[in-house]
Amino acid sequence: MLDNNMSTLGIIFPNTYDKTMSELTSNRSIASLPFASRYRVIDFMLSNMVNAGISNVSIIVKRNYHSLLDHLGNGREWDLARKKGGLNIVPPFSRDDVQVYNGRVQGLTSILGFLRSQKEEYVVMSDAFYATTMDIQKLVETHVSTNAYMTCVYKRYKLSANALTIPQEKGDPYYSYELDGDRITGMQINPKTEDYLNLAMNITVMKRTDLIQAVSDAYVAGQTHFGRDVIMPKLATERILGYEVTDYVAVIDGVKEYFDENMKLLNEQNADALFGGNRVHTKIRDDNPTRYTDTAFAKNVMAADGCVIEGKVENCILFRGVHIKKGAVVRNCVLMQDTVVGEGAVLEYVITDKNVTVSPNQDLSGTNIFPALVPKGKTV
Amino acid sequence: MDKEIIAMLLAGGQGSRLYALTEKLAKPAVPFGGKYRIIDFPLSNCVNSGIDTVGVLTQYQPLVLNEYIGNGQPWDLDRLYGGVHVLPPYQKAAGSDWYKGTANAICQNISFIERYNPEYVIILSGDQICKQDYADFLRFHKEKNAEFSVAVMEVPWEEASRFGLMVADDNDRITEFQEKPKEPKSNLASMGIYIFNWDILKQYLLEDDADPNSENDFGNNIIPNLLRDNRRMYAYHFDGYWKDVGTISSLWEANMEILEPEKSGIDLFDENWKIYSRTAGYPGHQIFETGRVINSMITDGCHVKGTVDHSILFSGVYVEEGAEVRDAVVMGNTIIKKGAKVSHCIIAEGAVIEEDAVVGQMPTEENKGVATVASKVVVGKKAKVGPNAMVRENVKDGEEVC
Repeated sequence: MLDNNMSTLGIIFPNTYDKTMSELTSNRSIASLPFASRYRVIDFMLSNMVNAGISNVSIIVKRNYHSLLDHLGNGREWDLARKKGGLNIVPPFSRDDVQVYNGRVQGLTSILGFLRSQKEEYVVMSDAFYATTMDIQKLVETHVSTNAYMTCVYKRYKLSANALTIPQEKGDPYYSYELDGDRITGMQINPKTEDYLNLAMNITVMKRTDLIQAVSDAYVAGQTHFGRDVIMPKLATERILGYEVTDYVAVIDGVKEYFDENMKLLNEQNADALFGGNRVHTKIRDDNPTRYTDTAFAKNVMAADGCVIEGKVENCILFRGVHIKKGAVVRNCVLMQDTVVGEGAVLEYVITDKNVTVSPNQDLSGTNIFPALVPKGKTV
Repeated sequence: MDKEIIAMLLAGGQGSRLYALTEKLAKPAVPFGGKYRIIDFPLSNCVNSGIDTVGVLTQYQPLVLNEYIGNGQPWDLDRLYGGVHVLPPYQKAAGSDWYKGTANAICQNISFIERYNPEYVIILSGDQICKQDYADFLRFHKEKNAEFSVAVMEVPWEEASRFGLMVADDNDRITEFQEKPKEPKSNLASMGIYIFNWDILKQYLLEDDADPNSENDFGNNIIPNLLRDNRRMYAYHFDGYWKDVGTISSLWEANMEILEPEKSGIDLFDENWKIYSRTAGYPGHQIFETGRVINSMITDGCHVKGTVDHSILFSGVYVEEGAEVRDAVVMGNTIIKKGAKVSHCIIAEGAVIEEDAVVGQMPTEENKGVATVASKVVVGKKAKVGPNAMVRENVKDGEEVC
């Protein structure tokens, strides 16, 4: 729990990098993407903040946010249904010149009034395109003890093929840091390298008053992007420190990466690394336990409650309420909530979105490189 | 704003016949069916039946139960007006008393009921597994213009003398009540679920309270008094799944019946009648390369590397490689280590079954006992717990307990 003198409020941007996920984010933000059998991606960062003692969290949503709002509700499941602070969801404010936020600066500008009226000393800002159970308390404590102007979190990471190939004009920019000791001395926008780099996780801690000042200045200057327009120009004059996250991080920056990061959790070390620490909170669905019948065969499976397994499942992530009927064979698949696989159907390397029905005896397969994707609600 | 009906849930029972499981918690708090506690059933029935005000009468070891119920949010019973309230015995200006009997527990809370000024009060029991629509029961009560109704189950005649029996005429009007009679005149067993008109209930509670010789019990005192006065009493027939889980074997049996909903009739997958519970919040369960699971229910947070056959694993149970779990009810966070064999038994929360230990045995003609291991007990390496054992203390390595 953070000390009183380190009181911190949280801000999450749930839409950053939406565009890297193709169909999976056509109806939702990247933050509300189902992940690891039971969660939405945002659950991780939200829980990290709450577990650090942050009880005032704003979510600045941009587009496709119905599923996210439905998921978050009033924040009760994260213990954020509060009189003081709690969950504050900020959709775009529609005026005559209707404009959706472009970049963090504009998003933050819309809550400047709110930020001014808060009492917390520090602000931690984060995206939600990764699942990690990193310790936010330690991050804030480090920031305070180093007396930095700003602390930015990075991960030693090799960019995915998807990130390398995605055209620059599509999607939000990503950054890498150049470091001298702890200090960030340079930043690259959309670096195209296949080597390890210090990938910016866009998790930033700074004083609330400094943030208000920086955002106001940038907005007046007509600037939009926090990384490019706020952090980069200040690198020379302010002490901006890098903070390497060494915890398990599942970076979700493409469909294949989404698939792989789910699959990696079938390995016990990875699952323990992600879930061994603080509890990750999520919306409760009140499903019954998962039922395996006498015809079930399951191996290397992660499954949430509410499933019925009558067929054969191998190397799969099953979300809540999945039903695999008799004689069906499902291998190397990620099946989202309430997917029904009919009798005798055979699935290999498939991602099904929510409420997909696979007809009996249907064969469906993708490959390790290109998992097949069945969109939400479809019957095949 | 008066309530038409409120529920009073008797949850003070010690459940002495479940001893190893109820040393530190009240019977309604005993875990059941993978992710539930017994009390989830009456609470969920209430909210699914449109009853939004429930008084829970606690007495014996209420800590776990109180914390579990909390503000009632998991059952949607956190209401501005009404909701769930835990009602322990309390001190009054003129002395204080434990709840002496079921009727006395209600009698001590007349002022709670009067806050809502209900027309009807339904009395529920916190130790049964049952999915029941109380709204249908109330409809019956109103149709019959009854003053008192009791839910009854038809039981086999040869077992009838184990129950409290209602003798009723063709119009379901009750003419006689027999408590565990040698020669039953009826096979309609009382389920211990009653609907009273509140004015009648209050009148009889006060009368009973004034009688120093009374046991202050619904079955032994209130119902006979109603009969004596020829009140309008009716028997409401219920033919769904119902189980009193008062003994180890009936608790084990009820858990096993969940595994075969088609046969037993207790379907937890019913979207229209969900059973709500406070969840542990674990990630999805995992079955690894060496894990084999058939005919079982597995809850979030379990790690299975051994064999699980015809069993229920509650949340966060670990079954290590080479371990075998058969016909077993294994409650939350228990660890079953390498090579251990666990069969036909109930293992309570947080127990550790060490390597190559044996707990219980598959039933034989002579011995159908259900072994029981209490919460947080460690059964040592190569130790053996016999089929009739009820283990409440750690078992040393290699030791045998019968």
